Amino acid sequence: MSWLKKQSVLIPLDFSELSYEAISPAKEFVAAETSLTLIHVLTPLHPADPAAMWNTLNDHQRKDKVKDFLAQKLGEMGYKEVKIQVAIGDPSTEIIDCAKEIAADLIVLPSHGHKGVSRFLLGSVAERVVRLSPCPVLVLK
Amino acid sequence: MDQLVFRFKRYFWLLVLLVILTPQVALAQAANSGFLGGIEAVFQKIVDVLNLFFYFKIGGENGMPLIVLWLISGGIFFTLRLKFINLRAFKHAIDVVRGKYDDPNDEGDVSHFQALAAALSGTVGIGNIAGVAIAIRLGGPGAAFWMTMAGFLGMSSKFAECTLGQKYRIIKPDGTVGGGPMYYLNRGLSAMGMTGLGKALSVIFAVFCAIGSLGIGNMFQANQAFAAVSNVLPFLENYSWLFGIILAAVVGLVIIGGIERIGAVAGVLVPAMAVIYALACFWVILVNITAVPEAIATIIRTAFSPEAVAGGAIGAIVVGFQRAAFSNEAGLGSAAIAHSAARTDEPVREGVVALLEPFIDTIFICNLTAIVIILTGVYADPNSTDLDGAQLSAASFETVISWFPYVIAVAGFLFALSTMISWSYYGQQAWAFLFGDRTVNVYKVIFLLCVFVGTVVNLGPVLDFSDIMALAMSLPNLLGCFLMSGLIARELNDYMSRLKSGAMLTELEKVREPVLK
Repeated sequence: MSWLKKQSVLIPLDFSELSYEAISPAKEFVAAETSLTLIHVLTPLHPADPAAMWNTLNDHQRKDKVKDFLAQKLGEMGYKEVKIQVAIGDPSTEIIDCAKEIAADLIVLPSHGHKGVSRFLLGSVAERVVRLSPCPVLVLK
Repeated sequence: MDQLVFRFKRYFWLLVLLVILTPQVALAQAANSGFLGGIEAVFQKIVDVLNLFFYFKIGGENGMPLIVLWLISGGIFFTLRLKFINLRAFKHAIDVVRGKYDDPNDEGDVSHFQALAAALSGTVGIGNIAGVAIAIRLGGPGAAFWMTMAGFLGMSSKFAECTLGQKYRIIKPDGTVGGGPMYYLNRGLSAMGMTGLGKALSVIFAVFCAIGSLGIGNMFQANQAFAAVSNVLPFLENYSWLFGIILAAVVGLVIIGGIERIGAVAGVLVPAMAVIYALACFWVILVNITAVPEAIATIIRTAFSPEAVAGGAIGAIVVGFQRAAFSNEAGLGSAAIAHSAARTDEPVREGVVALLEPFIDTIFICNLTAIVIILTGVYADPNSTDLDGAQLSAASFETVISWFPYVIAVAGFLFALSTMISWSYYGQQAWAFLFGDRTVNVYKVIFLLCVFVGTVVNLGPVLDFSDIMALAMSLPNLLGCFLMSGLIARELNDYMSRLKSGAMLTELEKVREPVLK
């Protein structure tokens, strides 16, 4: 059955419990953990953030810190061989770009079910990823 | 390509808005009161409603607004509860800022000095030039005395809120710090078993802060920056909409375009401008040195004499405290957001640094402006009764240094710019706390629209709106600080006893040794 397995699966993480829960169903689609890529998208630093103002923290350092953090956290959860990516910018755009870059053949992500104002303001990342994705998307409910 | 089209679609509504607005603005040029007058009328209505809610006055028409009384009580309470922390920790504060206690191994993003400077770029705004003039115009020279008192008491409230900000901050996985009243109200009160109240207060604060940032840190700054600039470039007077668009574009380049260079330039020029401004104040004072004792006597005499202004001594107190809080942000909680980024594991230490802020901002810079205005006597000149805010300050300097209004225009513009950028950060943090990081662009667009509105609307309603929303922030913030005052006092006593025993410095040297070798 291994010909049914996916070669490259992308899982966006936003540090919420729900997003970590997407890893286990995603794992069922691949033969090995190394085929899983996890991505976290950071927002750009505000120019008046004291760290930006004094240039004590740059984008490169922020990415490294998140990579270390995720590697440790995922290691504790038992996922030691997954690939970790960190990007900075608009979440849906970065997720799509990353999917193209790693030639993903599946994206797995949870739908948060935001309600009210924030739902109205920007819609959901999941929605936009579904619309623009180059590959099939599995939205967990 | 798909993505490009899709991205474009997301901004499409913005484009539509611009298309709708542009011809109107152009038309407004022709019929001056059309579109801009409309904005003003709608804005005035909003202010009237807010006034009803927040400006409930105790003791009739000329009484004390509840919210000002709240702010004064906050300052007095923390000054007494923390046994005059504003006096006894002053020397230690300077030692800390000089880096004597910096430990590079502690968590956080910036040094104590850098955190103070970041917070000051938000507090030292055009309020230091224009706000003082407004206070003297409304409350008489005596208002300057009450501003100083407010600055002194404000040092204690500032200490309390920044200590809490540091204690209950969170370090995010990417190394950035999340701090400020949203966090300490929520986490601090829930640690005391008041989870529901903490959550409610933090949400209320975040709402007030997101809206408040559009007043004190945006419309007021934009309005007075225009006043200062159009004062020296009179042809701009009928082109407020053009100035508004330019200002919004510059702010937009920094906060949306991520052009950090502009922010950095403002960050370098602002301290330079502050020094030039202070030197000019000293010069005016020196030229009129013989009149200084009389000016100070006037300030103190009119502070207590009931006939000074409409509303009597109460009027002067109210105006003084309002303008001071507006300028140094003590009790509002906003500065705790910036101070939380300091690299330290001692919450009290950053609180101590923070108490220098009202000192520099209000007791030092605002007082210099006040003395200049009163010395030169322009405020009392019957020919200049229509001058207010930045224009009154400029006219006062002009009597001694004829070209100084130009410096005020440049300094005012830069002060306003850096304050707007800082406040957009505070507002954005509050917004992100409510709606998440993903929607901050919506906040940024609202912020830029308000820059425009602030420029084209008259000072009166802008000031009312900014005052109400800024002071409203003190409701949830100070309430939380009151409830946690026992904790602050315990932390302070513990810190002070360790500081006195001298253990702190030796401990630091022990840590530093391997670095030196």
